Amino acid sequence: MSSTSTVVVLDNGGGLIKAGLGGECDPSTIIPNCLYRSPASKKWLHPNPLPTTTTTTTTEPDLTSAAVRRPIDRGYLINPDLQREIWSHLFSSILHINPSHSSLLLTEPLFTLPSIQRSLDELVFEDFNFNSLYIADSPSLVHLYEASRRPDTLVSRAQCSLVVDCGFSFTHASPVFQNFTLNYAAKRIDLGGKALTNYLKELVSFRAVNVMEETFIMDDVKEKLCFVSLDVPRDLNIARNRGKENLFRSTYVLPDGITHMKGFVKYPEQARRYLSLADDGLSRPPEGDMNCLEFAEHPAERKAVDLTKNEFDLTNERFLVPEMIFHPADLGMNQAGLAECIVRAINSCHPHLHPVLYESIILTGGSTLFPQFAARLEKELRPLVPDDYNVKITAQEDPILGVWRGGSLLAASPDFEEMCVTKSEYEEHGSARCRKRFFH
Amino acid sequence: MEDDGSNPLRRMSSRTRKVASKMVAALSSSDNRTQAALARLDALENDNAGFEVTDANNDDDEASLDDEDQVYMQKKQSKGTKRKTRQAKALEARKAPRTFLELLHEANLESLPANVPTYWKAAVGPPSSTSRRHFCTVCGFSANYTCVRCGMRFCSYRCQNVHNDTRCLKFVA
Repeated sequence: MSSTSTVVVLDNGGGLIKAGLGGECDPSTIIPNCLYRSPASKKWLHPNPLPTTTTTTTTEPDLTSAAVRRPIDRGYLINPDLQREIWSHLFSSILHINPSHSSLLLTEPLFTLPSIQRSLDELVFEDFNFNSLYIADSPSLVHLYEASRRPDTLVSRAQCSLVVDCGFSFTHASPVFQNFTLNYAAKRIDLGGKALTNYLKELVSFRAVNVMEETFIMDDVKEKLCFVSLDVPRDLNIARNRGKENLFRSTYVLPDGITHMKGFVKYPEQARRYLSLADDGLSRPPEGDMNCLEFAEHPAERKAVDLTKNEFDLTNERFLVPEMIFHPADLGMNQAGLAECIVRAINSCHPHLHPVLYESIILTGGSTLFPQFAARLEKELRPLVPDDYNVKITAQEDPILGVWRGGSLLAASPDFEEMCVTKSEYEEHGSARCRKRFFH
Repeated sequence: MEDDGSNPLRRMSSRTRKVASKMVAALSSSDNRTQAALARLDALENDNAGFEVTDANNDDDEASLDDEDQVYMQKKQSKGTKRKTRQAKALEARKAPRTFLELLHEANLESLPANVPTYWKAAVGPPSSTSRRHFCTVCGFSANYTCVRCGMRFCSYRCQNVHNDTRCLKFVA
């Protein structure tokens, strides 16, 4: 705390803040980037950090029907006051650091508007008094991490990769060359985890129970039950079946506030049956990652939806929701899908890079956690790519943390201090001049 | 207050007449449907479903339906709350965080030279094939039919009935 060399690495995402100290291998805390207010109270509260391996869960706050305020809209910081509140809580009560004795490595989305950059600089230097600041963009950090983790792969030998970041607010496909993001070639789809959750909310509210206000619960439903279909027409037909033939039907039990405070999947093994369909010789996603096996009921009890309990069934929604990333047009958006997005990003680069980029696609961001995401992407991408190029898609091991880990590596590198803008430089030159240093 | 209360029937009928003309206009133009579609996409980026849009804006929308209503609303408002001074309004506007789209508009990215990559240029652009799969808005399976009134999709007679009963927009005001 007292040494001047502490570097705080902050991946300030629209959904989750990943924060920790540079040089460590995992962030010390992951916390939702929002304040919430339950309908019973008037105060806006800080959500608890997500449980990690080291910390055990304390008492869960009641998040049912909570209203949310987020400082970030469509991926960009629009409410610095709110962000200041969240950061000061983070720095003082969770990380226990003193900003005036540390440097900050902060991620910023591509194409941040100058006015937003200015307010971010004010926040860092004037409100928190950080010693120095380095602004990084997430694709280059992901590239850095992957290249250093596997030094013998093409990503690190060719020093270039295509990073597909499918996060909370939007999806970017950005080529990275020699640790620099080629921003003239980056392409964006305005769809991310938040829109998907809202879409799922809309569907469930119309078809079963009104959950329009249950952001946190529906996030959980999406994470536990949604998956990417490998063959949509086939799966739609299967979803039409009744009874046991329907491999996709699964039941989610909403929290009742008395016996359980969190919702859960009713028959987890039933919810995983769709995996038996992955018969195309494609690699299966690891099983057993779904927890919540509290209820091991007998098959005889499997009846239709019990109306006295708060629960609802999902069938085709499970794969039609993530489907929107691959076909935003189905939602009425005038935007191309992810596969085409990648092709366009690569086509904007120099032709010499094309074969290498197709062979080093890295998936990162929380929304790539949908099972079968990579397999489906490869299936869609292959027909669009020239025959003589190889397509290789690498999913990051921990896509939510990938950016942070890259940042931690960068912060630990010996010449990090020289790359930063210090507070005195900021005071002398102002925001715009200092920004030139980061080549954005 | 008096002229509103004295003849409620007349007021109702004029209102329905005006709504009817709006309905004809809405049915004849396809633009309303695209507007509704855009509004729906916008709603996907909302943090909270119902909470935020409860004040000011909604009143304005309703008031514009009907001139008499507008007068009535103004009366009601002036009675209930104090009128805000310009200064107070300006202060409030400065305090409220602006949305990203407002900031984007302010940044005036169009004025930059063509070779500078910007937020707008990074958008992936329209898909190469215009074909769009339609899913039934009621049950989610592929939908072959379109509602003649609001343009939403449904797949069967059963779903059509559900649609008509629950969410057929009829027209977008």
